Amino acid sequence: MATHTRQKHVVCRTDELPPGERKIVEVAGRSIGVFNIGGTYYALRNLCPHKGAELCRGRLTGLMLGENPQELRYERVGEVLRCPWHGWEFDVKTGKMVIQPGMRVKTYDVSVEEVSVEQFHVSVEGEAVVLHV
Amino acid sequence: MSSSARPVTDPNARRAKKSEYYIVDCDVHHTFKSIKELYPYFPSVYRERLEEFGVSQGGGPGYLNGGYRGRRDDSFPKEGPSGSDYDLLREQLLDEFDIDYAVLTGDNIAGLMAGPDPDFAAATARAFNEWTYETWMSRDDRFLGSIYVAPQDPHLAAQEIDRWSEHPRMVQAYAIAGARFLYGQRYYYPIYEACCRNGIPFAVHVTGEGSGINPPPTAAGYPTYYIEMRMLRSSIFQAHIVSMVTEGVFERFPDLKVNMIEGGTAWVPAMMWKFDQDWKALRDQTPWIKRRPSEYIKEHVRFTTQPLEEPENPKDILTIFDWMDGASTLMFSSDYPHWDFDSPERTFPKMPKDQLQRILAVNAAELYGLKLEGKGASEIARSPRSPQTA
Repeated sequence: MATHTRQKHVVCRTDELPPGERKIVEVAGRSIGVFNIGGTYYALRNLCPHKGAELCRGRLTGLMLGENPQELRYERVGEVLRCPWHGWEFDVKTGKMVIQPGMRVKTYDVSVEEVSVEQFHVSVEGEAVVLHV
Repeated sequence: MSSSARPVTDPNARRAKKSEYYIVDCDVHHTFKSIKELYPYFPSVYRERLEEFGVSQGGGPGYLNGGYRGRRDDSFPKEGPSGSDYDLLREQLLDEFDIDYAVLTGDNIAGLMAGPDPDFAAATARAFNEWTYETWMSRDDRFLGSIYVAPQDPHLAAQEIDRWSEHPRMVQAYAIAGARFLYGQRYYYPIYEACCRNGIPFAVHVTGEGSGINPPPTAAGYPTYYIEMRMLRSSIFQAHIVSMVTEGVFERFPDLKVNMIEGGTAWVPAMMWKFDQDWKALRDQTPWIKRRPSEYIKEHVRFTTQPLEEPENPKDILTIFDWMDGASTLMFSSDYPHWDFDSPERTFPKMPKDQLQRILAVNAAELYGLKLEGKGASEIARSPRSPQTA
């Protein structure tokens, strides 16, 4: 069986992607959204599994919860991605749809690495966000 | 309280004018410069809601609409509201999906037409129609227009329909589902006479239920949440359709076609079954109904598809289509730029090509009298049977 070898792709310098922000990049023919949530980076395929919208352009919101009727509790602010079309909620950290975890968007590993211009043929030097695809 | 607040409470320092009376004013209105001043006093769960919908939220039934303010997140141009920028609409809809014709149905105006003043409502409809024609229709041949009418005064509505008689690209009279009376009632007949006179259908679009002078969005009372209102739109559509059949509108106006927009589809077969069944027993009350109610509906009523119901097994919707003769009664709609947008490519499960083509275009072409040429199978290029071209 052929094994897919993952390649590293430099997304940007870490200071170009502060907490709460995202960057959408084209890598290996795929559109991928890279998110910084509280200093940790996450990457999701920019394609909603429902109807194919550009999921990663959606709003980052919190998660509204309530154990009992008429109870509202708002948590995990900025960790839930809502599809720009139909508003389905996806957990950025896992790629899973909040209420139907079987419905999920593909996730990718992201690391922070010291890179130099020569290494990846892009004009980045120093600490960078690196996507593994 | 700090001492700097003192001058305000020092009556003598503030009084420019002396009255010999003590005066207590029992009604003085004050307000905030920005709603944000109230945020510290609100539970945090509501702040985002206030941010999104603003201070007018909570007043109308569109309250808590989905998406962002009811629109697709990606549909907001650099300036102005979603749906206000031709170039973006063209890019995201017309060009993206190679749309041949797009029927403009307007936005952000119906609320003004739900009020009690029939002349203002009619003037609003007329102004919106003129603006649509001059500003949008001239920009792209793919656009077709809707003639907004305010049903508060059916005679003014009929005049508005007649005013557009020389403009075949204005393809339908258009009213909102929120209405003072059920649409089968004789009060509205001047509108249907005008539709038949001009060979155009009468379109009803969900909205305005519970607004202005219209009855609440459900007959059982006013719902708390937007999803309730949305779920129960079908009941309003059923009420209008049953009224039109029962009152004999389609016997009186045999050429009239009705286009029900955005009210759903899956409920239609169940409604028709019950309607036919009950008619067999109760026909004597309305003897002018000579055929099974479902026959009138299939012949005279068209349903737009968005938001198409999504069964657990997507193919199940095709059974519903069969039950309602969907290959003749359904017309594709996207609802762009609203959040519950349906794409022509991702909405329908795999189905026979000719049926899909009918739903995507042929049924609308027949209703509106459109020529479909230049692509696709030859059977779709046959001349339409719309009254407009007869």
